[in-house]
Amino acid sequence: MRAGRPLILETDAGENFLGLKGLVTEPFQAYLVTAEDLHHILLQMTEFSLYARDEELKRGYLALPGGHRAGFTGRVVLERGEVKLLRDFNSINIRIAREVKGAALGLLPHVYCATKKRVRHTLLVSPPQAGKTTMLRDLARLLSDGDPQSGRPGFKVAIVDERSEIAGCYQGKPQLDVGMRTDVLDGCPKAEGMMMLVRSMSPQVVVTDELGRPEDVRAVEEVVNTGASVLTTAHAYDVQELIRRPSLAYLLKNGLFQRVIMLSRRRGPGTIEKIYNGAELSQWLQTEERNVG
Amino acid sequence: MLAKCVGALCILSASLWWSNLQIAKLKARVRQLEAFRLGLRLLAAEVGYTATPLPRALKQVAKQLGVESVSAFFQAVCRNLQEEKFSDATGAWLAAIEAKRENLQLTANDWMILSRAAAGLGGLGRDDQLKQLAAAETQLAAQAAEAAAAFAGSEKMWRYLGILSGLAVVILLL
Repeated sequence: MRAGRPLILETDAGENFLGLKGLVTEPFQAYLVTAEDLHHILLQMTEFSLYARDEELKRGYLALPGGHRAGFTGRVVLERGEVKLLRDFNSINIRIAREVKGAALGLLPHVYCATKKRVRHTLLVSPPQAGKTTMLRDLARLLSDGDPQSGRPGFKVAIVDERSEIAGCYQGKPQLDVGMRTDVLDGCPKAEGMMMLVRSMSPQVVVTDELGRPEDVRAVEEVVNTGASVLTTAHAYDVQELIRRPSLAYLLKNGLFQRVIMLSRRRGPGTIEKIYNGAELSQWLQTEERNVG
Repeated sequence: MLAKCVGALCILSASLWWSNLQIAKLKARVRQLEAFRLGLRLLAAEVGYTATPLPRALKQVAKQLGVESVSAFFQAVCRNLQEEKFSDATGAWLAAIEAKRENLQLTANDWMILSRAAAGLGGLGRDDQLKQLAAAETQLAAQAAEAAAAFAGSEKMWRYLGILSGLAVVILLL
């Protein structure tokens, strides 16, 4: 929904325009969203209380009941160079959450080591909208619930959900199934959250997404040193792009991840493109570095 | 003679009742203004400390207020929001003012301050919302002080007026 522009509905099948009586084919037939519509929708989403969702709005999104999300753009108010708040909203993007239970079953044998009964430190990599978070959520659920029939135990999983995308928390309660032994720290910065969880919940698996900042990388190292396994994601099209990010390159070079799984949406979201052994990848990276040197 | 005495007593009782009514109104205004101040402070606490959304915050405030008529006002705003009759919290607040105006002993100025407290309600960031509520609370505090002074100054006057006017009527009729 963009102020002054046609209302658009986007589905797997493509883009549709919405008129007052339903779907229409031409943009000029579509309902033109007004700034008042956006304001009213925003107030409804926040229970008429923008102040109650300040922190989320500052980051440009709102978690909604059912695990859905709404993203916003508008005028950014800065204070000492940092985003203080978002005002005069000009567009809202409502994203309907879809839980795909069983989506990560194919990944499980690579993530879970049956002989050691341990979860491998794993990095899921893909471009945006290729199903990283869906896979991560399902992996968390599968590992948390365990499977007594196959002898896979349930693990204590802890999720740091900085943007409420993994568990889709609304008012602190996960709206999506992340497993029976899963603890969720919602809306907390990743680095801080990982350390909080390790200290307070003694997790066996720590899950977080969109790794990238140097402090996140340091926190991952800390978590690995405590003995917990790390499951996380990063945005990139391929390994080359991944190693161009210094903090991630550092983790890969040091072999912190035992598995690096490349995903795409070539055959639909969550298509497994390649699975790297972390040790081999690390060795390759070190050789490359020596060669360049 | 007996009838005259009974009549005089009736007149005196009526004038006393009338003067007490005026005193009660003045006293009620002070109590209600203080209750509204407390309500705004409680609302600010809900906004500032726990960032509770307005419908729940208003419900909490209503529960904690001892003055029934003021508590009913906060409940009415909460109900208006929950029923989604209004496009924003300002509308819900102003509608509650209209609905509850008759049940409260506030003056036009008091209502004006309470109406102003609704401007931007729920549509501001936390800091601005707190400033808005604090400003309204400060203005209400001034009104409450003025009301308390008016009450202290007029209580005796109304009491004497009640007795004296009753006596005056009795003397005139006798």
